[in-house]
Amino acid sequence: MSRFLNPAKIGLLALIELYTSKSVPTSSILDVLSFITSHLIDNDISSSASSSSDRWRRAENTVSLVVSISDFEKVLMPHTAASGIPGRSLWYAFLHKLWEIDSLDALHEFFDNCSTLLVKTKDELRQDAEIGIPPPAPDVIQLSRNSPFGAFVRRSQLEFTRLRFHDAIELWKDFVKYRQTTAAYYRKKTPAFQRLSFDTVLLAGESEWGSGVEAIASVVYGDMLKDDLNATMPVSTDDIEKLLEFQIDQMQKYGNRIPLEIRHQFHDLVMDSYMVPSLSHYLSYLEAWRAGDYATSFDYLHRYFDYTMHNRDKSFYQYALMNLAVLQADFGCHKEAIAAMLETVSTARENRDMTCLNFALNWLFHFGQARPEVTRELESKSQLGTGKESLAFLRSQAKETGTWSLFSSALMSSAKMCLSQGESVATALEYLVRSSQILVERNMNNMIGSQLSINIALWDRLGIAYLSATICEIFLQCHARHSIFDDGLKVTSRQASMLALKGKYDEALGKLESLDVDSLRAWKPSQYWHKFRGIIKLRRDLHHNNLDGAELLLSQLLQSKSEDLEPDLAFVIDTLHVDCLARRGNYEEAFTKVEKMIVELRDENKDIALRVRLLLLKAELLDKCGRSPKAFTIAVRATNVAWRARLIPYLWPAVGALANVLSSLGDFAPAIRLLHAVLPRSLECDNAAMTAKLYAHLGDAHVGLAGTMTSPPKSNQNKRREHLMKGVEAFEKAFNHYSSIEDVNKQCEMMAKKATIMKVAGDYALANDYAATYLALRRDAAQLKI
Amino acid sequence: MSLNERERSQLRSALQEAVIKCSERCLYQSSKWAAELLDAIPEPETSPDDSRLSDVSSGYSTVIAPNPDPDEAILESKELSKYLLAKSFFDCREYDRCAAVFLPDSTLTGIISPKDAGATPKGKGKGKSAVGSSKPNNGQVIPKISQRSLFLCLYAKFMSGEKRKDEDAEMVMGPQDLGTCKNKQLITVSRVLEAWFESHKTEDGENVDGQGWLEYLYGMVLAKEKNEELALYWLVRSVHLFPMNWGCWLEITSLITRVDDLNRIMARLPQNIVSFMFHIYTSLELYQHDANLASSLDQLTNIFPSSSFLLTCNALLLYHAKDLVAAEQSFSQLLAIHPRRLDSLDHYSNILYVMNARPKLAFLAHLCSNLDKFRPESCVVIGNYYSLLSLHEKAVQYFRRALTLDRSCLSAWTLMGHEYVELKNTHAAIESYRRAVDVNRRDYRAWYGLGQTYEVLEMHTYALWYYKKAAGLRPWDGKMWMAVGSCLQRMGRNQDGIKALKRALQADSYYEIGSSFESAADNMRGDPEILLQIAGMYDNLGEIDNAKAYMEMCVAQEVGLPGESQGESIAIHHDSPDRGSDDGGDAGDGGDRGVNSEGTGVTAATSKARMWLARFAMRTEDYTTASRLANELCQDGVEVEEAKALIREVRSRMESAGEGSAPRGRDYSVV
Repeated sequence: MSRFLNPAKIGLLALIELYTSKSVPTSSILDVLSFITSHLIDNDISSSASSSSDRWRRAENTVSLVVSISDFEKVLMPHTAASGIPGRSLWYAFLHKLWEIDSLDALHEFFDNCSTLLVKTKDELRQDAEIGIPPPAPDVIQLSRNSPFGAFVRRSQLEFTRLRFHDAIELWKDFVKYRQTTAAYYRKKTPAFQRLSFDTVLLAGESEWGSGVEAIASVVYGDMLKDDLNATMPVSTDDIEKLLEFQIDQMQKYGNRIPLEIRHQFHDLVMDSYMVPSLSHYLSYLEAWRAGDYATSFDYLHRYFDYTMHNRDKSFYQYALMNLAVLQADFGCHKEAIAAMLETVSTARENRDMTCLNFALNWLFHFGQARPEVTRELESKSQLGTGKESLAFLRSQAKETGTWSLFSSALMSSAKMCLSQGESVATALEYLVRSSQILVERNMNNMIGSQLSINIALWDRLGIAYLSATICEIFLQCHARHSIFDDGLKVTSRQASMLALKGKYDEALGKLESLDVDSLRAWKPSQYWHKFRGIIKLRRDLHHNNLDGAELLLSQLLQSKSEDLEPDLAFVIDTLHVDCLARRGNYEEAFTKVEKMIVELRDENKDIALRVRLLLLKAELLDKCGRSPKAFTIAVRATNVAWRARLIPYLWPAVGALANVLSSLGDFAPAIRLLHAVLPRSLECDNAAMTAKLYAHLGDAHVGLAGTMTSPPKSNQNKRREHLMKGVEAFEKAFNHYSSIEDVNKQCEMMAKKATIMKVAGDYALANDYAATYLALRRDAAQLKI
Repeated sequence: MSLNERERSQLRSALQEAVIKCSERCLYQSSKWAAELLDAIPEPETSPDDSRLSDVSSGYSTVIAPNPDPDEAILESKELSKYLLAKSFFDCREYDRCAAVFLPDSTLTGIISPKDAGATPKGKGKGKSAVGSSKPNNGQVIPKISQRSLFLCLYAKFMSGEKRKDEDAEMVMGPQDLGTCKNKQLITVSRVLEAWFESHKTEDGENVDGQGWLEYLYGMVLAKEKNEELALYWLVRSVHLFPMNWGCWLEITSLITRVDDLNRIMARLPQNIVSFMFHIYTSLELYQHDANLASSLDQLTNIFPSSSFLLTCNALLLYHAKDLVAAEQSFSQLLAIHPRRLDSLDHYSNILYVMNARPKLAFLAHLCSNLDKFRPESCVVIGNYYSLLSLHEKAVQYFRRALTLDRSCLSAWTLMGHEYVELKNTHAAIESYRRAVDVNRRDYRAWYGLGQTYEVLEMHTYALWYYKKAAGLRPWDGKMWMAVGSCLQRMGRNQDGIKALKRALQADSYYEIGSSFESAADNMRGDPEILLQIAGMYDNLGEIDNAKAYMEMCVAQEVGLPGESQGESIAIHHDSPDRGSDDGGDAGDGGDRGVNSEGTGVTAATSKARMWLARFAMRTEDYTTASRLANELCQDGVEVEEAKALIREVRSRMESAGEGSAPRGRDYSVV
């Protein structure tokens, strides 16, 4: 098997020859040329593939061209030839060209003649002039030596001269086989065609040798003439390498797995290639990694290192370690991963490989952020310094060495850290803008994903849900196809969770379902995807008060929590767990759980928003237990923190909690004032549950205020009624919001409150109505549960 | 010569015996040859009858042949198991181990250095009483083993030496490969054999007849030691004792360098069918081709109708007779009958090369490479193909591979020399040719190539010597004589040169008459090239009449000839290997190929001759002739400018002649 040449390439050469001989009519030149070019030039700038199936089309094309000649037929059949017998298709002209190569010698001649396609060099022209050969006419198509076609022709020629004789034979035999499928068509149009026309020597020898010709043919062509089942495909190492690089590139760029069909085809090709590049082990490794097959991927990674050891010396050792560390981390072997990465750092230092060092430090930093429990010991040894310092170091390093992706990712990390520590939003924004500038300047569209995720988080934290939803949409519409699938998945889940907060569960699930199935074959994303779906369903179940179903889901989600879950998902699951426990009425356990989480968080110095949320949870639990006053300090603290960190979506519930505490203490008027100030802003947050709760608190406060006006004065009576009505109104609003998120319990509660108020207000008819509605709701809820 | 059924079955059984005996002694090639020949005898058409059944019962075991000599038979049966051990070692190419089965090293040293052994205590302690210098006792040192076993282990020793020699030489044409590596086991083997033959002498000093095998080995060893007369003696003895050993005949062939030698030795040889074959084969090796040879080949072919060996001989005969088309056909038939036989396909490739049959040569190379790409023959075929494609580096690479596989591959050495000439690497070319000649002194192409290379280097005296060698090997080949002639011309020896070239002319016509394959052409034909050259030399010598006569003859070649046959035209290319190099540098060479491929017509040589004649006519004031010739030149389109100038001059002369006589001095200035 040759390194570069195969029958398909001979076909391309023949096609180029046809083109230069002007056999291609003007109308079809574009098709023919683009066909040739698509197989000569690697990068496909034009096809910024919109769907993932398009992405792999290139690989499919390469494979099918190698395997059979029918690709040529598809392109050439519709066109007519400009020269030769009129009415013949270009396909015939092409075949004629191929069948003219009727012996091994003709193949040699064919390659020899290739140089006539090229523009002559100055030396050649001079020599020609000396001999008296006139320079070619100006209207002859000649390929410039460095054009893609010229380079291809020259390379083909060179590779052909480099072939050893038996390789040339192999090429010839492959070519005969490749061409043979067209024999039927060609025979119809060519009267002189015979059975042995594929080799003129055999054809000529038929008369001379008689029956011996069969024996000779079988000696020369082996079993090829019969239908050989073990026939190998005529693939060259060059094709294999190209395909490998393409696949690895795709996998690394988009983080998805190879479609099954292509994988099978490729596997067949590799089986037939006499030399398997070591890169294929890397491909297997990636594939196994994505498939979540730890043992296999580990094995393949080591195999790849072993096979590449001979040509990349020890200076690449750190990259090997880095790969290893990433792999280990992905499969949850955090200790091993850290060890490997630390060795990477020291080797990179030793070898003065700044790029590698920076990358490793960056990775370590992120890893430390995500898994503080693993890196804690390290920090104390001050090998890395604290997060901030190492980030500053990374930033300056990246700027110095000009590794822009690292620089921007360091900037993003800084922004993220600013946000999570509740520092100035302006600083975070500054970082973001700087990083975005780099991204735009350097056109690093693969980093846009993470940039936009931080953006989304930022707007979310600032309580401008609309903006973050818009950015989600922008990413999915414009950038998703350039970036790794993980980013797309995360943003989609983000969108889904926003929808879920608005109560549009089906839509949210629909968003998740619409993700590319093929990309989800990768193990990690599919895990994430499954868990996220689980979370949304769990939330819905909780709201529907379908606690049995919720517990079932929870038990599944909690199972795998410790190993490999993304930290943010783990937190969401924990809060939902608390919610579930609270709904079950198991306040004690819920409370201990919250306490535990608070302790963990405090230890790990985590995101400030999470702390606020936990505080709020605690306050809520206390409230539910009827010990609202105890929650006063908690609520004040939460409000304080949220205010300072501009954690708007948590500020409003914190204020709400505070108002609730105030109402429970009897300070209804300030509570109402607080809530009035908060409510309009909270509507911006698109968080129905929160708004509903605020309205409920408002209603409570109004009713409470009305309660203080029980004394007879008339004006009081009026005021009381007014407050009661306001309360009803607030409850009505709360009810509406709750019903939008289908929270049955709360709906019932609101309805009950409304009924009670009506009763107190003396409007029994309405009270009855509400009571009836309440009962209906209960019934529906019971049905929903089933 | 046809055989009756009884003779045929005798022949068959003799060949069967030969196959078994040769393979017993691990003489693989000889056994293959005999087996091929055996297969070529047509089977009797009789239906199964009693005789066949009795054949089966009386037929000996196919593994081991019985020995007619009772003593030997007893010995052989005694040591059967040891012999089998040794043979399996040999089959596994563990030569030293094989030799040690019967002749351990200690025994060998005892035999080799009997005189020294007397001095060394070790040898004395071990070597019985026989270690003295008295020769007859040496035989006792050799263990009492059968001749077959002795042959096997000595042959193994010899082979191990050959193997080591090849290994020592390392790369082909590398620093170690100077042809100086010797087979170090030769001495051992020859000493042992010497001792053995000494001990088996009759009282009156005559050698007792052995089985023929040890004689063969001894002859071979002696030939390697360049002791050719003695070697021939032993080899002839061997073929008397056992005529079916083809390897032995081949050794004899390699010792014969001239036809005279062959004729002389034929008298000493037994008269049987194998010696008949030997005669044909050796004649072919000496590039003979006459009707006798053809007829005797025909006779043999009657006995062995499908023998690949004889078919090859036939094809080679045709090839030597320069009937390339017929030779090609006969090889092609051979290929159809035995499509998997690689032997001698390198000759076929030479023929295809000369015929410039590129597709067929490519096909042949494909076939060979498919069968076995690591056979010297395959490599030569591939090399030839690459050479035809003008890919000389690759060709050299394949010839080198052929030589790595088999250093005695003669044609590879010569062809590699040609390729080096193409690559302008004259030193390597000379070395290659020299090695070819060392391997086989009969290879005229190598001699000729050497001459050519030296001519390129302008060392004419050397070149002449080698050309003469080549011409001596092929006295009937005009190309050789032409080379000699041109070389002499360069050296200023015009008289000798003319003789040589005349000889060349004769040689060419000899072909016409001598070969029975071509219709006789007119005897006044000859290469215009040679004629021109002769004329030029006569001109130089001042013998204007002769010069004119030859010039006219040269011009006459243009017309009267019925077109040169293809065979002739091609012969010049390969048989006399002027592949590429500028063929003695004579000016007319550029047109040489043109002449031949076009057959007849105007060539550079004839045009030159015509120009000379025209000028001569001018000188002799024969203006009409001059003008006719010059006009012809104009028509032919060769040297038009000069011819036109001539015509103008003729006109002015004729005009001035009308007016008065022109000054004569100018005529000479024109010439």
